[in-house]
Amino acid sequence: MTRARALVVGALVFSLALVGVYLAAGGASYTPEKSRNPCEPRPWHETSGGLEGLAEEFTLSALDGAACRLGVTREQLARALATKENRERFSTRFHIDDEKLAKAIRAGLLRAIDDAEEHGRLNGIVAAPLRAVAEHVPLEEGIELVQDAKKFLNGESFLSGIGDALEELLP
Amino acid sequence: MDRGRGNPRVWALALAVGIVLADSSIVVLALPDIYRDLDTSVFGVTWVLVSFNLVMALAAVPAAMAARRVGPGRAAAVGLAIFAGAGLACGVSEHLSTLLIARSVQALGGALAVTAALELLPATVGSERRATVVWATAGATGAALGPAVGGILTQLVSWQSIFLIQVPIALAAAVPILAVARDEMSTRVIERELRPTGRPHLWANVALAMVSAAIAAALFLLVLLLIEGWRLSPIGAAIVVSMMPLAAVVGSRLSGWVGDPRARAAAGAILLAGGLGGLALLPKAEVALTLPPQVLIGVGLSLVLSALTETALAGRDPQAIHGGWTISARHAGVVIGLLALTPVFTHDIAVQQKQAINAGTAVILDSPIDPLLKLDLAKKISEHLEGEDGKVPNLGHVLEPLPDDEGERSEVVQLRNELQDQLDRGATHAFSPSFGIAALIALLALIPIGLARRIDL
Repeated sequence: MTRARALVVGALVFSLALVGVYLAAGGASYTPEKSRNPCEPRPWHETSGGLEGLAEEFTLSALDGAACRLGVTREQLARALATKENRERFSTRFHIDDEKLAKAIRAGLLRAIDDAEEHGRLNGIVAAPLRAVAEHVPLEEGIELVQDAKKFLNGESFLSGIGDALEELLP
Repeated sequence: MDRGRGNPRVWALALAVGIVLADSSIVVLALPDIYRDLDTSVFGVTWVLVSFNLVMALAAVPAAMAARRVGPGRAAAVGLAIFAGAGLACGVSEHLSTLLIARSVQALGGALAVTAALELLPATVGSERRATVVWATAGATGAALGPAVGGILTQLVSWQSIFLIQVPIALAAAVPILAVARDEMSTRVIERELRPTGRPHLWANVALAMVSAAIAAALFLLVLLLIEGWRLSPIGAAIVVSMMPLAAVVGSRLSGWVGDPRARAAAGAILLAGGLGGLALLPKAEVALTLPPQVLIGVGLSLVLSALTETALAGRDPQAIHGGWTISARHAGVVIGLLALTPVFTHDIAVQQKQAINAGTAVILDSPIDPLLKLDLAKKISEHLEGEDGKVPNLGHVLEPLPDDEGERSEVVQLRNELQDQLDRGATHAFSPSFGIAALIALLALIPIGLARRIDL
């Protein structure tokens, strides 16, 4: 083999080897995690249990349900609900008025109640009044309940007195 | 007359060529600082590079003709004086517009000095072949060292110092050349004008333009990835990208080992494509992983640039004009590479920014920390992003200060690591398509290299 040919072959071997090694090491899939489709059922994680654990899973489920109704990701909705300014920008960008957002929040809360019941984390006796509240909750309060589901689940603002009973009824 | 290394005129001419061609890439590491100081966009700051290279591409051949008309000694001295004066103007610029104008004037002076130097070198070193080697080596050394020198100056002093330091260097290079200008005889100049100018080597110059586009992309994108994506300091990035000129030294040794310029050009283009392909497929955001691709790029650029320049100049007369064509082709390639790839990667950065933010928010939402703290973090991320439009986000510090409680702190640290991982993935992946396109351009350069073999030689 001439030196000229050896040089070209050597260049090819080194180049292909580098690309091959980087591909094998996952170079083609080193990307940020894709956002999950919020309309798909969400697996409920094992938590420490009690109201705290239930509230955490409930919030995520409610966000998924509302995001699914709005056609956005759960992450976009979580950031949108963080401040009033964020919500305004979100509404302008996705052409979502307060009425539409309120309906989505209600849908989210209902889905979270369904999910909690389905996963055996909420008793049917408690779920029924929670559903009744969720179906008519105004927008601002609905957002508060999504953000701090503990309030909703122990009935601080809407179901006074039911909180203690709920603690008792939690599986 | 001493025609060797001891001749100060040879050093002055090599210095002139080196400093001008270094200017094509010396600001690469300063771009993030210029970007922030002058409050411009990624596209705007790209023009600090583009303006210089565009004017060099357009002015190189006319400058070579002017150098032959007025005398290369005078042209080189005037060119260096313009280069120094415009460098001073760049150094004191406070607005992007004045900086771009000064850069363009600097390129005009540079084009005059570089092409005149090629006309002066044969008489100074004793042969055209030796002159070509000195000229090409000085240019390649300048271009390869440029980013590292620029990065060190940017961090130790300021981005303005890159331009200010060129003023005394350019003037020092002009001093020994002034004697040539005085000695020039008008009869000799006229005699040179009457010699016919052959047509430029089309395929070698086309290939030069294509590989230059790929090299510019490699330097520009890698520096942006290191500084803006992975948050390295300019000196840190300068040390990292020094791997390319170091590897280029190895490549220049290989050039002596293989005589056939077409084989060297082909091997260089393949290595360049392989290195860029490696950068497009980085499996992790780790500086060490950029080193093997840089080695291939450094060796490749050294092989392909010298081989194609030799091919473009071999047997062609006058050298200054054909040298002008190679300068024109190289800088046109840089401009095309930057202009073609800038919209691609600015778009990809925006897409990856959104994806990384969503992934980061998902990490926070799914973390075991207190739900109210989660939403507070989501709020902080949103607020932070207000000022990050169009840039690779850096969200790591939204989790600071860390909680005092040990248990909570370890949860937040783990969360920060996961968040950082998503951001690193986003930043790294944002550059992948552009590196991939640059690799493809380097591979496509094999076509004109192959055609040069069949037609032009």
